[in-house]
Amino acid sequence: MISESSSNSNDKNSNLSEPTKIDGGANDDSDTFNGGADSSELSRRIFLKLAGVGIAAGVAGGCDSTFGGLKPSGGEGWLPAQYNVSGDFPVQVRGRIPIDPQNPSITRDNQKCILCGQCVEVCSKVEAVMHNYELPIIDDIPCICCGQCTLWCPTGAITEVDDSDLLMQAIENPDLHVVVQTAPSTRVALGEEFGLSVGTNVEAYQVSALKQLGFDKIFDTNFSADLTIMEEGTELVKRVKGEKKAPLPQLTSCCPGWVKYCEYFYPDLVPNLSSAKSPMTMMGAMIKTYYAKKSNIDPKKIFSVAIMPCTAKKFEAIRPEMNHSGIKNNDPSIRDIDLVLTTRELAKLIKRKGLDFLNLPPAKYDSLLSEYSGAGVIFGATGGVMEAAVRTAYHLLAGDPPKFLFNLEPVRGLAGVKEAKLNIPNVGGIKIAVVSGMHNTHKVLERVRENKSDWHFIEFMACPGGCISGGGQPRSAVPPSDSVRTARINALYSADEKATIRLSYENHEIKAIYKDYLGEPNGELAHELLHTHYGDRSKNLTAKNKKGSNKEK
Amino acid sequence: MSKGVLVNLTKCIGCGGCTVACKMYNNNKWIDKRAPASGENAQLADENWTIIKKFKLYKNGNTQVWRFVKNQCLHCQSPSCVSACFAKALQKKDNGAVVYFPDNCVGCRYCMLACPFKIPKFEWNKAMPVITKCVMCYGRMKENKAPACVSVCPESVMKFGDRDELLEEAKVIIKNNSMYVKHIYGEEEAGGTSWIYISDVPFEKIGFNTNVVKKPLPIYTSLYMKCTPIFGAIWVIVLTAFYFITKRRNVIKNESCELSYKKSVDECADNKLSQEANTVKSDDVFVNAGQKKRRK
Repeated sequence: MISESSSNSNDKNSNLSEPTKIDGGANDDSDTFNGGADSSELSRRIFLKLAGVGIAAGVAGGCDSTFGGLKPSGGEGWLPAQYNVSGDFPVQVRGRIPIDPQNPSITRDNQKCILCGQCVEVCSKVEAVMHNYELPIIDDIPCICCGQCTLWCPTGAITEVDDSDLLMQAIENPDLHVVVQTAPSTRVALGEEFGLSVGTNVEAYQVSALKQLGFDKIFDTNFSADLTIMEEGTELVKRVKGEKKAPLPQLTSCCPGWVKYCEYFYPDLVPNLSSAKSPMTMMGAMIKTYYAKKSNIDPKKIFSVAIMPCTAKKFEAIRPEMNHSGIKNNDPSIRDIDLVLTTRELAKLIKRKGLDFLNLPPAKYDSLLSEYSGAGVIFGATGGVMEAAVRTAYHLLAGDPPKFLFNLEPVRGLAGVKEAKLNIPNVGGIKIAVVSGMHNTHKVLERVRENKSDWHFIEFMACPGGCISGGGQPRSAVPPSDSVRTARINALYSADEKATIRLSYENHEIKAIYKDYLGEPNGELAHELLHTHYGDRSKNLTAKNKKGSNKEK
Repeated sequence: MSKGVLVNLTKCIGCGGCTVACKMYNNNKWIDKRAPASGENAQLADENWTIIKKFKLYKNGNTQVWRFVKNQCLHCQSPSCVSACFAKALQKKDNGAVVYFPDNCVGCRYCMLACPFKIPKFEWNKAMPVITKCVMCYGRMKENKAPACVSVCPESVMKFGDRDELLEEAKVIIKNNSMYVKHIYGEEEAGGTSWIYISDVPFEKIGFNTNVVKKPLPIYTSLYMKCTPIFGAIWVIVLTAFYFITKRRNVIKNESCELSYKKSVDECADNKLSQEANTVKSDDVFVNAGQKKRRK
């Protein structure tokens, strides 16, 4: 039996290894096949011959693909339509922005990127960063951290750096006293995440949600916006009067995206920047000095969080110079702000915790650092800082401001560059300008550079429309539409109109903080805690406009 | 007409869009944990046909600069992988692309050893692995489209075109701008490559193999490897000759046996009988042994 099976396999092998023989015996094959059919019995010989024919056909089929339809590897995926052009036609909208893995503000999920090119559009044409520096790059991927790309990205590949886990760790840490502040713009946008119509003011619900999340104290950045106005307005008056030796025009410094942009592209105008810090970092400094002293808490144990409409605030919080409260407390490792969360992150956190946002009991901010004037609340809109500052500056120069300053139409609205001239008794004409969207800076700042301007004060906001359309705000239409911006802006202005106090210097808590702690605006302690200086990033990139202006000279 | 790509490394800002385009068009997976496609730890892998590698280096003494280098198959003019591949799985096409046909591949990985730039990668973690490498988007090239990575670049780092024209263009660029290193990588390396690079920092500092010979690598083996068919043919003739000689010798032996049969039938018959008896004996032994085994 064993010998039989071995001979069988030998036969098979010989047939398999010599398929060419089959063709030669094709005639015999048909004969024997018929014979086989007659006897209605498949002989071993016929079976092996058929198997041989089958294998030969299979090999021949394989050969066909070898010589005809052989498929090269790759090419099984897709590319967006704009790239599928033949020849040398240039692709207009293409690629994506570079993002440093170390970027504190924005990050990108490569797997979601579809190379639609929208981030490049907004970065180069709206914010004038990408394509606005010479190549090769030096040792930095220039980014002003504004986060507009997170709003333009259609697939949500680009997002803010999510720090919500760090926040929850801090809240769950019993040793830490977690204090939070909320920016003017978050209250008119957060509701969108919960189905409310655009521009709904959800201030009271936001405070309630923050309380539910476990924050120990909730303060309002509107308060420190008033504080900023006191400092910045006083500084402006001093510059105009010549009491402070700093160049005019004074440029606002509350927008960290703009400040970084200025350091990159207009380092020669950094002295023009107001030395007053932004409302967020002012509040941070006040929390760890004034509030810590008042409520007798060790500043080291305070964890200061800011809910901002902005991704650049994440960058501002880690700027090395933002530790004035630390220096004051003799421990430079204490930061003014420990963590910044965007509006979107707050919304995510509220949803994660399962809070029924719309049915929360309305709540109020904690006192001490929360009262605000109408001037503070309009900080979130483009032109708002200017309007607020002008009200206070008028007061400082000539007494009570006239009625039109409470509705300064020329600086309101979504235009990229706005100008106005005010006649102030005893001083004369004050010229102001408002810029939003960094691509508009060139029109204004090239004139400033050439000393052809007669502006006294210019407000800059990196995001078109101001903070209400900041890079950390809820995503709306892609790209964000002006109707959404307008609705949010109107919500802020109506909050200003409804406010009983509309002037920063009338804010009771502001009066109290100067009386109890800071002394006077631009005083010694105010300078120590509320003012800073900015640097020069021009060695990290070669600005294109810089080269152009040199050529003109 | 041989196509090529000119890569101007000074323009790269490291967005990594090319790596995304490559993965999108070729349907490759993201394997960032094993091998990131961009960044300082970027490395070519079975799913990463192109990468953007970040280098931090010092230029002119103290100024630190960042440079991003795009790696992918250079598509040699005389590719050694193609000469090493006996299955015709790798083929150099007229348009310059070195194309891989997985259906032909036998998985010997000779191409991986042959490539001076270590481009072909093997799918080590697959059950039925094949080689993978950049094929210069052969499907797009056939439709006169630039490779995916080239067409998506927002800074126009890469330019797709006729290789000879690109070479002339590169020469003009490095001649007119003192910033550039006076060398075009890929002009002569390994006998010239379809992808050519210009840079403002020395190539050896940004991960390029500058020790590659200038001669086309297949030259070294083609001298004797081209004799393979002749050698084969001669070998067939020699073996056939041996076969016939042996066959004839056996025939002569049998004939002599048959001739002598008539002379001494008895003698021969005795011999045959004794032989048969022997074989029968041995069969008996074998069968008996088998039966014994079964009984056990």
